[in-house]
Amino acid sequence: MISQVFILSSKGDHLIYKDFRGESGSDAVGVFYEKVTALTGDQPPVVMSHKDLHFVHVRQGGLYWVATTTADSSPFTIIEFLNRLAALVKDYCGSLSEKSVQMNFALIYELLDEVVDYGYIQTTSSDVLKNFIQTEAVSSRPFSLFDLSNVGLFGAETQQSKVAPSSAATRPIQSSREQGGKSEIFVDVIERMSVVIGSNGMLMKADVEGEIRVKCYLPNCSEMRIGLNEEFSIGKSQLRGYGAAVRVDEVSFHQMVRLDEFDSHRILRLCPSQGEQTVMQYQLSDDLPSAPPFRLFPTIERDSGGRLLMYLKLRCDLPPKSAAINVAATIPIPKGSLSLSQELSSPDQSAELKPQSRAVVWKIPRFTGGTQLSALFKLEVPGLSSASLLEVGPVGLSFELPKLTATGVQIRFLRLSPVQPGPSQRWVRYVTHSDSYTIRI
Amino acid sequence: MQEWANQLCENRQFGSKMTDSKYFTTTKKGEIFELKAELNSDKKEKKKEAVKKVIASMTVGKDVSALFPDVVNCMQTDNLELKKLVYLYLMNYAKSQPDMAIMAVNTFVKDCEDPNPLIRALAVRTMGCIRVDKITEYLCEPLRKCLKDEDPYVRKTAAVCVAKLHDINAQLVEDQGFLDTLKDLISDSNPMVVANAVAALSEIAESHPNSNLLDLNPQTINKLLTALNECTEWGQIFILDCLANYTPRDDRESQSICERVTPRLSHANSAVVLSAVKVLMKFMEMLPKDLDYYGTLLKKLAPPLVTLLSAEPELQYVALRNINLIVQRRPEILKHEMKVFFVKYNDPIYVKLEKLDIMIRLASQANIAQVLAELKEYATEVDVDFVRKAVRAIGRCAIKVEQSAERCVSTLLDLIQTKVNYVVQEAIVVIKDIFRKYPNKYESVIATLCENLDSLDEPEARAAMIWIVGEYAERIDNADELLESFLEGFHDESTQVQLQLLTAIVKLFLKKPTETQELVQQVLSLATQDSDNPDLRDRGYIYWRLLSTDPVAAKEVVLAEKPLISEETDLIEPTLLEELICHIGTLASVYHKPPSAFVEGSRGVQHKRLPGSAGSGESVESPDTGSAAGVSDAPPAVIPSQGDLLGDLLNLDLAPPATTTGPPPPTSSGMQMGAMDLLGGGLDSLLGGDLGGSPAMGAGFGAPPAGMPASFNAPVSGGLDDLFDLGGGVGMPSGAYSPPKSIWLPAMKAKGLEISGTFARRAGVVQMEMTLTNKAMSVMTDFAIQFNRNSFGLAPAGPLQVLTPVSPNQSIEVALPLNTVGPVMKMEPLNNLQVAVKNNIDVFYFSCQYPISMLFVEDGKMERQVFLATWKDIPNDNESQFQIKDCHLSSDAASSKLQGSNIFTIAKRTVDGQDMLYQSTKLTNGIWVLAELRVQAGNPNYTVSLKCRAPEVAQCVFQSYEAVLKN
Repeated sequence: MISQVFILSSKGDHLIYKDFRGESGSDAVGVFYEKVTALTGDQPPVVMSHKDLHFVHVRQGGLYWVATTTADSSPFTIIEFLNRLAALVKDYCGSLSEKSVQMNFALIYELLDEVVDYGYIQTTSSDVLKNFIQTEAVSSRPFSLFDLSNVGLFGAETQQSKVAPSSAATRPIQSSREQGGKSEIFVDVIERMSVVIGSNGMLMKADVEGEIRVKCYLPNCSEMRIGLNEEFSIGKSQLRGYGAAVRVDEVSFHQMVRLDEFDSHRILRLCPSQGEQTVMQYQLSDDLPSAPPFRLFPTIERDSGGRLLMYLKLRCDLPPKSAAINVAATIPIPKGSLSLSQELSSPDQSAELKPQSRAVVWKIPRFTGGTQLSALFKLEVPGLSSASLLEVGPVGLSFELPKLTATGVQIRFLRLSPVQPGPSQRWVRYVTHSDSYTIRI
Repeated sequence: MQEWANQLCENRQFGSKMTDSKYFTTTKKGEIFELKAELNSDKKEKKKEAVKKVIASMTVGKDVSALFPDVVNCMQTDNLELKKLVYLYLMNYAKSQPDMAIMAVNTFVKDCEDPNPLIRALAVRTMGCIRVDKITEYLCEPLRKCLKDEDPYVRKTAAVCVAKLHDINAQLVEDQGFLDTLKDLISDSNPMVVANAVAALSEIAESHPNSNLLDLNPQTINKLLTALNECTEWGQIFILDCLANYTPRDDRESQSICERVTPRLSHANSAVVLSAVKVLMKFMEMLPKDLDYYGTLLKKLAPPLVTLLSAEPELQYVALRNINLIVQRRPEILKHEMKVFFVKYNDPIYVKLEKLDIMIRLASQANIAQVLAELKEYATEVDVDFVRKAVRAIGRCAIKVEQSAERCVSTLLDLIQTKVNYVVQEAIVVIKDIFRKYPNKYESVIATLCENLDSLDEPEARAAMIWIVGEYAERIDNADELLESFLEGFHDESTQVQLQLLTAIVKLFLKKPTETQELVQQVLSLATQDSDNPDLRDRGYIYWRLLSTDPVAAKEVVLAEKPLISEETDLIEPTLLEELICHIGTLASVYHKPPSAFVEGSRGVQHKRLPGSAGSGESVESPDTGSAAGVSDAPPAVIPSQGDLLGDLLNLDLAPPATTTGPPPPTSSGMQMGAMDLLGGGLDSLLGGDLGGSPAMGAGFGAPPAGMPASFNAPVSGGLDDLFDLGGGVGMPSGAYSPPKSIWLPAMKAKGLEISGTFARRAGVVQMEMTLTNKAMSVMTDFAIQFNRNSFGLAPAGPLQVLTPVSPNQSIEVALPLNTVGPVMKMEPLNNLQVAVKNNIDVFYFSCQYPISMLFVEDGKMERQVFLATWKDIPNDNESQFQIKDCHLSSDAASSKLQGSNIFTIAKRTVDGQDMLYQSTKLTNGIWVLAELRVQAGNPNYTVSLKCRAPEVAQCVFQSYEAVLKN
């Protein structure tokens, strides 16, 4: 049971405070902020207690979303709830920020009233909630088609030349109806990759976690059908189709997804609620359909002048038409490293010595598939011993692979019924992120 | 839900598009006054804006209670948005202004009659939140109507309102019969209503532990399971949590519930998944392990747990804490999933540490190579805390998986070579533990360790190194120099190091007395004269006195063989673990503390327990089953009502078991005994003693103090055995034979509890006579006993009467009367009895064999005629013949001796100088045994022929004959 819910700005200002059960006073807010700011990095921040009050919080949109409880409640329930609450507020207000929460406090109070009663969570479905919510959202930023500040672009499902700005998906759901906003639907296939490559070049671990997210701005869509690859198969034994199977280990679906056509045709049927939902989540472990996207060939030695030499060759094994962006390699180096001199193979790359985190960070803004880059780093390390060579590595890579899924999951089609009157846009975007990509040296 | 939802759509009223943030602008003087005017404006829009401003001020903590009447005046409106805002204000301030809150009552009552269900629900919801006693009276009638409302939205709101009202005035709720209405709502057609009714009832039931409000029976469970498929995810959580409190009647019901809950495991909401896992983990206890379904269920549990680890770090952390519990209870679920617990470099440190812990728990011979490779990588990472824990983990692997010890040690040596200071120190600490687990195996590495002596600056590492030097002093040539170098800064060391140094030097002295006498005197005087620390001083005195009194005894005490350290000292204590398993997914599972430790008041203090397993011939898994198997070769079979025993245990609040990483126990036990003695005298003589050096060991240590226990180092068990013999002798006069006590449960296997015992039949009652000896360092209390089912249905006739706590080194005698009406199962051997004894520390299992003569009843004398007829009637195949050798009794003496044990002689015949005794015996279960005993004068060998309809007992009966006759 939730006792109180409050939302704080990152500076500790009270934005929203709601007491559901009258069990403790509003001084809890201050206590929480004191506690959360006093935490050190290695303390688990999730659950904190003060006397017999327990705080559970998440951070979203730069805000603290906090719930308190006095009983032995489930932190899972509360964390899930706070995340849903943040998602709802985002759906209703368009974006999450201190400003948007402040501007819409009446709306958020109204939401909270419907979402939780006496600490019991009632519903977080925007479909149900739309029947109760009276207050109109206030958008913090006028929606502009020309706002192209963000990088990721939605590629239209059918015509690759058409793109929509990524800010298109950040507007309140309600406005679509009242303000005559466009009927649009956005589908994201997002995968996160964790890979460990051993010092001998062996692939030691490769996991992919993926999800399909739908953000819907359609006022009256009764059914939507998402067709996945026909050859999509689940589990180790099952194989479908004639070509190479697109295989995952585990799949879970949102409650509203109907699966009667899934087994035969790999079609997800759902009636999307307005706002954003994760329709499907899946995982694949230890069996990537293609080679891992990056390989590293390091040479680490000590030169005659007692300096540490690191010669790194990084190869991108993506198909030549694809490219990785925002690649950053973090190379841990021995303690006490003083200065760095570098030779990089192209001018758009950069490298930097970060003494606090004991690492060299090598940044590559764009890395085309099938190419190889190299870098030579010379480090001044006083008292360099052979043992300190052991402190080099493992290298961590972070990157984004747009228009690509590591598992090969694709969306074949997106059909809406009844056929939408007037213009409606359907957008699909694929992206693979690195979650933890480690190459040992 | 959709019906009313659609209908409500039309009621929507669109408010203004003005920006709310302007309400947060700073207060000016007279603001309240301005607001007052605005609130009383005629224009709806203006009113609404004003109320918004009021609520904005309320949120940031300003006191706007002065506006109460003006805001309440705005309540009577048909604008829903405005009404909601006013209600928001009311909920906040009604408590501080109870008299004025009454003003609002009329509107509430009116709103509860409104044709719009949204307004009816809003009114009943808000009324419940106004925690003012006076209002509750007016609330009852509207609430009663709303509970029976035609609209499910109103009903579900009303259901919650009952819980609110109960919190304010429990008596009122009961008097008004709301609880019964609430119970009826469990059968409602709308799943949301069911879910809220369940949630409300669960909460009310918690404050009335014995009310049986949530009368869970198969019918209601069925309703809940049906609602489970239809309601929202949050409702599913309420229902699953409620299900977890139900105890199914048998394993079939348990299985059918599990089958219906399993689909929840693939839900996207992790809270639903965890609640389902909780239900399954609990109900699984009841499933027989040989059932196919049990295996299927185990397989199904792994993927959802693994999926939780792909969530954001906060959720991952909570999930890992839970997985940690699940892995301790049922490691088989995740034994193939080791890889998912490998650490990612960008995991937050608290996630890393939890993962590491689980990795070690899952480590086994099968995956140890993989785990070690990972750990070695972690040991070179950047984060110091994590690296330390990784190095420790390597040591724990060595202790846990014996086959890996060698590889672990070489990995640790590699790490020591890095010379990274904290890595070296951690490695030395764990190598010490490895030495204690595998003594005399890896001493070759000592040389490498000694090279790093200078770099050790942490007390724990220094203490570990000193321990190693002391323990292996005879193999380290310059041990004295090494220890001397530590001694130089004795006073600057931490207590841990000082104590260790003292012990190490005494060990060194006992091993190499000639060269180190000066050193030992130096350390003894430092410890006893220059130190303010009582622990150190006392330990110093004890050693001093030991050395001066009896160097041989000192050697045996200080250099005694140490018990090996246990495999896993950091396991959660089993009873606590059981309770925590019942609280999976809750705060208790994150804190790893029972809810009673952090929830105030009566709520949640009831201890939950796992249900007992079905009595279908499988054994409840327990870390101690091994010890039972060790005592007898019989396979450990079921202990049927162990569930009850564990239940008893769950009602206890137990401290976690102590770990054994401190100084070696013999030393400290010596310390305790010696310390008591010291206080009794002898201290003065010691202090006044002359410290002059003398070549003979110990002779120069002053006057030998009096009162040193003579048999200080004599094996305690020997003394105890004498004691048992005495006890056995005392048992004799009553006539029935009773064997001497033997050790049933050695202290080694029972965390210091030693049980020896025997059986006796006294005045027709079978008794189990035991001596409980506490050989541990802490007091033992809360003894209880249970038997497994056995061949003759032996069961305790009453509880085990140990009324006083047993303090260390104390023995206590108990006699437990037994009856023979317990459950029956044939054992092998027939007279085998498996026993579970629990105390405040743990539950222990052992098995023992009782002499079957215990079961010979007093009315076992058969009529002659019946004897003859029976003898003839029993087929000859059932006859078995045995020899009793070396028995020098006459036939009469034998007869009377046997009679004492209820073996009755019916007739005697003498043929050719050979006495034939015909005897009968009846067992407690009605089995008759007929015997012919032939005694030849001058021949020490007797022949017994036994005839019985149940020939299985013959062997045991014969053993009793032999035992009785020879004692």
